[in-house]
Amino acid sequence: MEVKRIAKSGTFESNDIYIIVEPKGDEGIEINLESIVMKQFGEQIKKTIEDTVKSFKIKSIKITAKDRGALDYTIKSRVETAIKRAL
Amino acid sequence: MYDILIRRAEYEEIDEVKRLLADNGLTFEDAEYTAIAKHRNEIIGTCSFSGKIIKCFAIREDYKGEGLSLKLITHIIDEMFGREIYEYFVFTKPENVDIFKSMGFKIVYSVDKVCLLEGGRANINKSIEEMLIKSGLGCEKKSALVMNCNPFTLGHRYIIEKASKESESVVVFIVKEDKSLFPFDVRYSLVKKGVLDLKNVKVISGGDYIISSATFPSYFIKQLDDKIDAYTNLDAHIFGKYIAPAFNIVKRYVGTEPFCRVTEKYNDALLKILPSYNIEVELVERIEKSGNIISASFIRSLIKKGDFEKIKALVPNVTYDYLVSEKAKYIIERIKNEK
Repeated sequence: MEVKRIAKSGTFESNDIYIIVEPKGDEGIEINLESIVMKQFGEQIKKTIEDTVKSFKIKSIKITAKDRGALDYTIKSRVETAIKRAL
Repeated sequence: MYDILIRRAEYEEIDEVKRLLADNGLTFEDAEYTAIAKHRNEIIGTCSFSGKIIKCFAIREDYKGEGLSLKLITHIIDEMFGREIYEYFVFTKPENVDIFKSMGFKIVYSVDKVCLLEGGRANINKSIEEMLIKSGLGCEKKSALVMNCNPFTLGHRYIIEKASKESESVVVFIVKEDKSLFPFDVRYSLVKKGVLDLKNVKVISGGDYIISSATFPSYFIKQLDDKIDAYTNLDAHIFGKYIAPAFNIVKRYVGTEPFCRVTEKYNDALLKILPSYNIEVELVERIEKSGNIISASFIRSLIKKGDFEKIKALVPNVTYDYLVSEKAKYIIERIKNEK
């Protein structure tokens, strides 16, 4: 599938994550993550985002994520929502 | 947080917004959109935006610390998103920095009274990197000029030519913000065409971080208030800290400013701050022709009078040809109608 437009989901509330997805010129999954728990969970959050993207068979996407301590399933559903809005 | 309503402010509510801002030591500025938070029919918080800039943000003292700012700013960001603004900036007092940081904003630079933060997709390092790649410039030492060229005159041409002779490579940043009488595309293409013969000169867009309403709001409103020092310092520091190292800029040429106090203040800030980043600043005297100092504002006043013969002697051919062309008619109309 292909990301056609810019879209967002989530909020800046505590325990949530704010996601912006947008088309990327070339191939690849680009993730720009900021998190209050970057040191502890940065890699894990990135992996959750990436796995969710891959489940849509998307090859080209740019994601900006501002995390405030969201749990895995929150991250997954926020990314999913943003992608569906962008298709 | 119960029954607090966040919505766009009605016209009749602006006076109350102004009072709330005044209580917080802020003044209301014209905004594209103003949001308010209301509780029991009283305005307890407000935030506005214009273009990419979030501003006029205040929460009533007795409602602080309840997460209201978060809701208010989220509302603003959603509204901006709906208008396809995905990169945003905020000027705020140092005591508010933490609120914005908790929402994923990052500090671009902080001076005494003002702090500039960026949020959303805005990323200073990335956009400067992109500017550099797009320009096709190499890593040789460069001299830089930042110009508005509203419009391009022989005075501008003279400084660029001087820099071109004295440096290996020159980069000219044209102020991107479209708040001048001549739109960016016109200003940019006139300079570009006007210096084609100077092989070591590259003309590029100044982007969001050089004299933009993000780095230097007063440049466009030309008001001389207590914030001016903060803004001029901010712009100079951003240039020194981010732009100069990325482009390998070792020198900046600046034209003297006999007429405009804001620009004069800006030059003072550059002279004071850039050397601390190992950037030399050279102040170049404006050239004169038949007793008149050539400046863009003088050209505009001649346009107002319709004195095109005089203009011809003061601007490069590209600018003159443009001014007398069909395409320039609407701009000339606009200048003539200006007070």
